[in-house]
Amino acid sequence: MNPIHWSLRWLAIGAVLLCASLKVWSETTQVLAPGYGPLKFEPPAAGSYQLPPLGSAADGAVIDMNGESFPLHDLTGDKLVVMGFIYTHCPDVNGCPLASYVMKQLQLRLLASTDLKDRVRLISLSFDPIQDTAAAMRDYSMHFRRQGFDWEFLTTKNENELQPILEGYGQYRKMFYNEDGDYAGTMSHILRVYLIDRDRRIRNIYSAGFLHVDTVMNDLRTLQMEPNQ
Amino acid sequence: MRITLLLVLLFSMSAIADETCMSPYMAKIEGQEDFVYVWTLGLEGVGDEQDKLVTVDVNPDSDGYGKVVHSISVGGRNEAHHTGLTDDRRFLWASGLDTNHIFIFDVHTDPAKPTLHKTITDFVAKSGGVVGPHTNYALPGRMMISGLSNNRDHGGRTAMVEYTNAGDFVKTYWMPTDDNLQGAVKSGQYADGFGYDVRVLPRRNAMVTSSFTGWNNYMMNLGTMMADPEAMKAFGNTVVIWDMHARKPTKVLDVPGAPLEIRCAWNEENDYCFTTTALTSKVWLIYLDEQGEWQASAVGDIGDATKIPLPVDISISNNDTRLWINTWNDGMTRLYDISDPFNAKQMWEQRIGEQVNMVSQSWDGKRVYYTSSLLANWDKTAPAGPDLQYLKVYNFDGEKLEQTMAIDFIAEKLGAPHQMRFGAHALYGEKVSAR
Repeated sequence: MNPIHWSLRWLAIGAVLLCASLKVWSETTQVLAPGYGPLKFEPPAAGSYQLPPLGSAADGAVIDMNGESFPLHDLTGDKLVVMGFIYTHCPDVNGCPLASYVMKQLQLRLLASTDLKDRVRLISLSFDPIQDTAAAMRDYSMHFRRQGFDWEFLTTKNENELQPILEGYGQYRKMFYNEDGDYAGTMSHILRVYLIDRDRRIRNIYSAGFLHVDTVMNDLRTLQMEPNQ
Repeated sequence: MRITLLLVLLFSMSAIADETCMSPYMAKIEGQEDFVYVWTLGLEGVGDEQDKLVTVDVNPDSDGYGKVVHSISVGGRNEAHHTGLTDDRRFLWASGLDTNHIFIFDVHTDPAKPTLHKTITDFVAKSGGVVGPHTNYALPGRMMISGLSNNRDHGGRTAMVEYTNAGDFVKTYWMPTDDNLQGAVKSGQYADGFGYDVRVLPRRNAMVTSSFTGWNNYMMNLGTMMADPEAMKAFGNTVVIWDMHARKPTKVLDVPGAPLEIRCAWNEENDYCFTTTALTSKVWLIYLDEQGEWQASAVGDIGDATKIPLPVDISISNNDTRLWINTWNDGMTRLYDISDPFNAKQMWEQRIGEQVNMVSQSWDGKRVYYTSSLLANWDKTAPAGPDLQYLKVYNFDGEKLEQTMAIDFIAEKLGAPHQMRFGAHALYGEKVSAR
């Protein structure tokens, strides 16, 4: 592993942990995404609104932290799912680290929720199969996942297996290459986190300006109130 | 590496993103734009007479600078009007107010040569009768389309229609009316149900819509309409505040005289948006008061209202201190000081052409772009010449505009230019081989 890549990964993880532990969201010079602080509005009450389906949640071959390969659909259909695309070297605090930070908050809320904690699965799916091996995802998960909680950290075997998943979810990302043609270890992307119901339909899409644990929790409760969910 | 990181930041930050007037959910171009995409009305007797997306190279460092480098026609005339980019900036949605077609262009595969990716032809049927797709506004993974009319009476009552980025219909949200406020509070005299523009303040969970007029009017000859007292009554007088997350209207505000474009402040502490009224020539502030209530207040005058200057497009600076306001009828652009949002003061004005409609500025405000066309049946047809249907580009130093580029869209056999959106190779990671 290139030492620069390791540095980037620890920078990314450090950014999340820093925000999580010190709540520096209001003190940094960079404007941090709303998900790092309290909401400035009262979100609509769960069940008071609808979340119309936004299409089918795509399937594809994924690999878990143990290196086991299986269809992504094996992890949907039985529970409500909150799934975010990330890569562990992401250096932007308002990118993948935001997704992991909010999902970690969500994990805490769900653990405290008697009605939802066993009915929701979190998935962090890497879109960097080059660097994010199963072992790398396991290492990354140790900073976020409470033991026993249903939070899957997934990757894919290679670009060929990843691409259909990205296209299915409309998740754009562009890898950057050095002048010698090697992958530089970073990429441009737009942050997307998906809410998926038990019928494997996408019911909401959150981006950096919109992702917040309060609204995601209310959306989960809204779906739970629906028949068959 | 520095460039790489910049691009990572550029794409993954969505809290801040004509660059100053688009969805905050969208990646933005902070540096030099490479292209401007101009959605252009086809005109009888001009070129192929079809609506088209015209790509102009606007990067001074490019060999093609100042030239039309690409044009793609869509097979007919649709009353080409507004466009909007998806949140990932890969696709440009361009709608037609008459045929209700929405053309989705791929602008990422080769930013210099957009291609037609998909055409939505069942907008009216899918939406349950909405007519006149106007604003194409990016939400996370989705597009919100504001309508202008309906297929029952072709008047101004209308709705917003949500689509996925893939172009699949999601849901229709009708504007609140007196007979169905949908839970919204009617704060004044009006609840007309009209629509026009839509913008979002994510930090306040607020979606804001304005109101214009229906198909019967916007497809009518301008002189005929203005001489018809009944037609002149059929304009919107409202701005509606919506619960963005729930997609429900919460308050209907009186803003008389057809409030058009909405531009919201960027600063995290500035919980307000501006609009201007076409018929009453005023600047309006839509703001959250100290009690947490949304209010509307007229905060400035635009020209001599008795001469009907007809305010059209507006553009806010990234620091919320300046507002460009175009007045179509006299061809003027006017710069307002909005440092005090409750007291919008005109600083100076400059004539751009015989008519001027759209204005777009780069993120840093150093380049300002103008186009001329308003609506096919409202546009002026004389005097012929380079000031009638054009794209003009200016450098702006904070004090004056200095013209750097002009393209006569009639002489170039293109048509009548309307909305502009910027493109850049840097958005997509690397330059394509064609350049």
